[in-house]
Amino acid sequence: MNMQPKHSADATTVEEGLAIQEEQSKFDSKAATDVAMQNTLLTPRFYTTDFDELDAIDVSSVREDWDKLIDQMESDPNKGHFKKNEDWDHVDWDNMEPKLKKEFIDFLISSCTAEFSGCVLYKEMKRRGSNSDITQLFQLMARDEARHAGFINDALREAGVAVNLGFLTQKKKYTYFRPKFIYYATYLSEKIGYARYITIFRHLEANPQHRFHPIFKWFEEWCNDEFSHGEAFALLMKTDPKLTSGVNVWWIKFFLTAVYATMYVRDHQRPAFHEALGVDPDWYAHEVFTKTSALTKQIFPITLDIENPRWQAGLVKLQKANADLARAKQDSGLGAMLRQVSAQARAATAFAGLFFIPAKRHQVPASTRMEPAY
Amino acid sequence: MGWLTKEIEHAPCTVEISHKFESLHAHVRFNNGAVIYPGDEVKVQGPEIMAPFGEIVSEDRDAIIFRASKLEQLWTRLTGDFEVMELCEFSFSEEVTL
Repeated sequence: MNMQPKHSADATTVEEGLAIQEEQSKFDSKAATDVAMQNTLLTPRFYTTDFDELDAIDVSSVREDWDKLIDQMESDPNKGHFKKNEDWDHVDWDNMEPKLKKEFIDFLISSCTAEFSGCVLYKEMKRRGSNSDITQLFQLMARDEARHAGFINDALREAGVAVNLGFLTQKKKYTYFRPKFIYYATYLSEKIGYARYITIFRHLEANPQHRFHPIFKWFEEWCNDEFSHGEAFALLMKTDPKLTSGVNVWWIKFFLTAVYATMYVRDHQRPAFHEALGVDPDWYAHEVFTKTSALTKQIFPITLDIENPRWQAGLVKLQKANADLARAKQDSGLGAMLRQVSAQARAATAFAGLFFIPAKRHQVPASTRMEPAY
Repeated sequence: MGWLTKEIEHAPCTVEISHKFESLHAHVRFNNGAVIYPGDEVKVQGPEIMAPFGEIVSEDRDAIIFRASKLEQLWTRLTGDFEVMELCEFSFSEEVTL
């Protein structure tokens, strides 16, 4: 390779980007076929929703904030950021502790799949919608998600893991989300994503000896993208007060509980990963919940009472029930079946226990927009 | 669409797969305006489409749409929402204990 082509992350127009990519692919496709790689089939979800309802959104009540946000996303401050530079230190994959390597690769693959699924969903909304405000937003978000997915993919390639996009030729089922559930869930996933990445980023800033992979250095800009996506969903919800009042408050509580609980359970499945980062998963969960709660006050009229002693106790029970369930699923026989049923019942009870902890109510500010401050 | 019967449709489609550093994405576009409803299944015909790293591959293919029965569509509408949690980065791990 004698001439390093300009990186297409720096391209300002589509044409320029395509030209650079074409040039680059001559090198890359060769490199890709040279190395035998472990193949990982991405399995994103496919969604459909009520596109008419989505089209009916009218952002005129938040027009000023909306235009500002879209302009900012359009100006693409992170263009060119997601590529390796001299800060990308060498990663000694061969000597990485096997358990850590396994958990870290699992972390990268699940992050990549989530970004990828977000991209598929946003692109679908862009394509089937006809409201120009909405389609523009989803186009911009799809751009960011595909860019993040590409960046993680690059880190995976370095680890000898090739992502396989061949899933399209497999039969895939389209599930359905009501638009409001997409708002709650994507809003929360973007905001909690921000809180998760920034917490790790700040922790590693203070404790650089724990930064076992350079990708963490990119977390700040990465999570700022997540932050703006969350802002967009907050504004979308602001356009219709019904979305955050009445019976929907119960839905919001359900989503908050489910997202927090899922995160807690999942993170506790990666002990080596958290140990390498020098992070106690219980501390981390509490920190992320605290930040996410502060952020979601911008639009949700309630936050979960994460300081209530029943909260932590419930999470521990849920985590234990889940681990038992997984073990029981691996065994066969009547005994294993009974253990499965018992674990499922305990998990459901623990979740209900978390859900029914009284929430904290507060006033939602008149103006929704926030800037990343952590 | 019947309550219990599945119908099968064919639709020409364009598949675009980008396996580039700056964008990892894959999309299917139906070229006859076919619309996917909850519970439908889609299979793109032909061999797996692989884009080498650094390339975008775009191919015209035929897709089979397995239309969900009315009952299945209703069921997916009622229950699909709970899968929404999978948009979170931490939800995609298949293994419970690593």
